[in-house]
Amino acid sequence: MELLDWSLISSTIRMVTPILLAALGGALCARVGIFNVGLEGLVLVGAFSAIVGNHFTGSLFLAILFAALVCVLFSLLFAYMTIGLRANEIVVGVAINFLALGLTTFALRAIFGVKGAFYDKEMAGLPKLDIPVIKDIPVLGDIFSGHSPLVYLAFIAAIVLYLFFYRTVTGFRVLAVGLSPVAARSLGLKVTGLQVLAITMCGILCGVAGAQLSLGQVTMFTEGMTAGRGFIALVAMMMGQSHPLGILASSFLFGLMDALSIRLQGLSLPTQFTSMLPYVLTIIAMFFVKEKSQAGGRGQSSR
Amino acid sequence: MAAIRELCKSLVQPILAVMIGLLTGAIVIAAVGESVIGTYQEMWKGAFGSFYFFTSTLARATPIMLIALGLALAFRAGVFNLGAEGQMVLGAISATLVAIYLPAPGIVKMLAGLMVGIAVGGLWSLLAGFMEARFRIPLLISTLLFNYIAVLFASYLVTEPFQDRTGSAALAQTLMLDKSAWLPKLFSGMSVHAGFFFAIAAALLLFWVIRFTPFGYEVKMLGQNPLFARYGGINQIKVMLTGMFASGGLAGLAGTVEVFGSHYRFVDGALTVPNFAWTGMMATLLANSHPIGIVFTSILLAAFQTGAMGVERNTEVPLELASVIQAVLILFISAKFSYDWWKKRKAKGGESHGAA
Repeated sequence: MELLDWSLISSTIRMVTPILLAALGGALCARVGIFNVGLEGLVLVGAFSAIVGNHFTGSLFLAILFAALVCVLFSLLFAYMTIGLRANEIVVGVAINFLALGLTTFALRAIFGVKGAFYDKEMAGLPKLDIPVIKDIPVLGDIFSGHSPLVYLAFIAAIVLYLFFYRTVTGFRVLAVGLSPVAARSLGLKVTGLQVLAITMCGILCGVAGAQLSLGQVTMFTEGMTAGRGFIALVAMMMGQSHPLGILASSFLFGLMDALSIRLQGLSLPTQFTSMLPYVLTIIAMFFVKEKSQAGGRGQSSR
Repeated sequence: MAAIRELCKSLVQPILAVMIGLLTGAIVIAAVGESVIGTYQEMWKGAFGSFYFFTSTLARATPIMLIALGLALAFRAGVFNLGAEGQMVLGAISATLVAIYLPAPGIVKMLAGLMVGIAVGGLWSLLAGFMEARFRIPLLISTLLFNYIAVLFASYLVTEPFQDRTGSAALAQTLMLDKSAWLPKLFSGMSVHAGFFFAIAAALLLFWVIRFTPFGYEVKMLGQNPLFARYGGINQIKVMLTGMFASGGLAGLAGTVEVFGSHYRFVDGALTVPNFAWTGMMATLLANSHPIGIVFTSILLAAFQTGAMGVERNTEVPLELASVIQAVLILFISAKFSYDWWKKRKAKGGESHGAA
């Protein structure tokens, strides 16, 4: 088996998608000065509600919409606790993660009457999109064609978010809130409103990330199926310094390592070392990426 | 007297939060179509129903308490250590290997194991602290990443070089510890072990350190007002590093006593699946980092978990009932806590709304 070939890039793109979407959501929160540890839980809720939506409506579009909606509800809870009641955001994030794990497992039992995992072979997953011209070009076709629509959406979202931050008035305002809430407020900006807006958008992105996880990569839900991806997204967000294109790059690194680690398992390396690779590389990368540690520093100082 | 009043004050909120948590739990139970009262009865029985279950709850509380105490010190210094899981696992595996392969009498093995567990957990945590101090790599990221590395490394150790190959089934676990190196049980046939005493002792020690030593004062000052602390000549990095070592060491001890007192071997996943680390963090937050309060909140959270196990054994309600109740509890307590703080703030003058 070859170690590096073009299908590796293709599987990387698939792996990247949920991480990228969640990390972009996290970046939105970070940009308004909120460190959202609850990404893991939000993605899990998204994954579950996507399956629920698909099961009951039979429409993939409605399923994704439902996932986004439920995640928005959860993020509004997060927003209410952190902004409305001024609770510590890390505490609330941790609680959201527990709540998501507990409620999805509970609801799995209550709605589908199963334990551990729900799988329905009648259920349709997200279709693979073949892009007309590109799919016939040898290498590019292998890489870029044949992914689920959400994969393309994720990359578009990164670009849109970049344009939003740096090319729109609302985006500038969001950045201003993150830089100095007091100054932003004195300029007459609706700080709270912008923060809630950012958290809501984060919820939508996490919902879509979850839908890609449960409907795009596989067509099933298993308890705790996010398996730390939300935390990886958090790290990708911090590595990318909450900059959409930076996040694109750092998520890609994680996706590549993820894909590579699966590939390396064929080489009789212990699987633990291959799974460890992304984390080790991230730490090494952190020595070179000198950042002002915007989100990290803030998180630490707040107790 | 003041200490008692402070303790009571730190207990009022958790009790209120527990009520709300149980109420939410009741709604969820009703949603699955089970009897609320019956389920809670099972939960009570599972946690405190008999002396045996009560001691199981205490055994469960032991690692949670130790982790929580370590985190309390770090949080008080304003240091956010999210790496308790990795510190616990790495401490536990090192301690186990030392206790298995050290050629010495049982008691020496046990003591050496405990020391190594603390040292390795502490050093692993210190490494993250060092990286923050020297290379400005944020603790929040490094401690989180270190978890994965430590857990995967320990998993490698027990599936490859140090795997128990004596049995017919190749499970990911080490050899059994020598019986002489086991932590004694407090009551024969019950699951609570001597590690529980360590946890209580650690709580008292931490209480003493925070309240009566210069170091405790430095920690407090740093946590409450870093600028003032720096002005007062406190070496911020030294306090941070000490806090990291202590919290990591206690997490390492938590993993070690769990192995030496309950499993008697390191089993892959046995320390991570019960979510000791995050539960410990919740116990700290619930008790508002008060060492004595932590003793109670740890037992409480452990009781929810052992109780939920009882519920799962005897009813159709899944184990995750505990997660839901815990999450609601922590949400409520965090809001309540800061609501007070906000009221105080408002009373002071009410300016600077946005400054967090």
